[in-house]
Amino acid sequence: MGTSAEAAELSKLPEGRPAAAFPLGLPVLLVRRGGEVYALENRCAHMGCPLAAGKLDGYVLQCPCHDWRFDIRDGKFLDAPELAVKIYAAEIKDGKVFVRLP
Amino acid sequence: MSLEERKKALRYLFGPVVDKLGYKFTPVEEDADFLLEQEALLEAETGIPYCPCQARTKDRAENMRIVCPCIPFHRAHYDAMKRCWCGLYVRKDVTDPDKLKQVPEERINAH
Amino acid sequence: MKKVTIYALSTCLWCRKSKKYFEENKVPFEAVDYDKQSEARQAEMMKEMKCAGCTGSFPFIKIGAACVQGYDPDEFEKLLKK
Repeated sequence: MGTSAEAAELSKLPEGRPAAAFPLGLPVLLVRRGGEVYALENRCAHMGCPLAAGKLDGYVLQCPCHDWRFDIRDGKFLDAPELAVKIYAAEIKDGKVFVRLP
Repeated sequence: MSLEERKKALRYLFGPVVDKLGYKFTPVEEDADFLLEQEALLEAETGIPYCPCQARTKDRAENMRIVCPCIPFHRAHYDAMKRCWCGLYVRKDVTDPDKLKQVPEERINAH
Repeated sequence: MKKVTIYALSTCLWCRKSKKYFEENKVPFEAVDYDKQSEARQAEMMKEMKCAGCTGSFPFIKIGAACVQGYDPDEFEKLLKK
C-alpha cells in the first residue's frame, strides 16, 4: 500500500507552477492546479532530467532537457502513451500535502 | 566519464525506453557500437545525444525530434521500416537487420 | 558514366555504407559532409534536399538527375544502369 509522506505545505505551493519536493528523500514534483494537487516522479522518462524546471501548459508539462511532454494527470508521455513518468496519489490534510509513495 | 562508459550509460538509459516501444538494439553489434559512439561524441560536443544520421537545423523544435531514441516522433515511418532511421534500434521481432531497408519517409507516406 | 554525389554526415553509418558501395562497384563519386560545411552551404544543401521532397535524413545521393534518400543498393544499381 505504500507510505504516506508529507511533501509540502499547501500554502507554499505556487498555483500552476511545478515545484520540487523530496518526501522521504525521493524526487517528487508537485503541481497545484485549482483545488487539486498532482504528484509525479521528478525524473523524465527519457534521460532522467528533473521535470520541475519544465514548462507547464494546462495539464501538459514539458521537460526542460529535450522537450518531452507529459500529462500531469496520468503521467503519460504525449507522443507515446507506452511511456510515462510515475504518478503518486496526493492528498491534502490540515494544510499539508501528503503523497503516497510505493 | 570515458567514451566507452558513456556508451554503456546510453545503452542503460535507452534500452528500457525502446523496449516499451516494441524495439531493441540492433543485434549487429558492430553497427550498434559505431552508432552509440557517434551519439556519445555528439553529446560530448552539443550536450545532447542526437541521431547521428539526421541533420540538425537552427529550429529547436525540429532538433528535439531527432534526439535519441527518436522513435516516438517518427512512429509510423519507423514501424513501417521495422527499424529507426540510423538503425540503432530494430523492432523486437527482427533477427536479420541487414534485410531491412532504409525507406524515406515520403515514400512510406505515399503508400 | 553518371555523376554521383553523396551528401553525408561524418557521423552516419549508412553514409559510410553508401560510399563503400560505390567504391566496391568502382563508381567514382564526390562526397560532401553536411556537418563539416559552413552554415550558408548547409542551408543550400538542406534546401536542395527539401526541394527534392526529402527530409534532413542522410545519406542523400544524387545519381545523374535522380536522387535517393537512404542506403538502398537496389535503387543505386537501377539508377546507375538507367
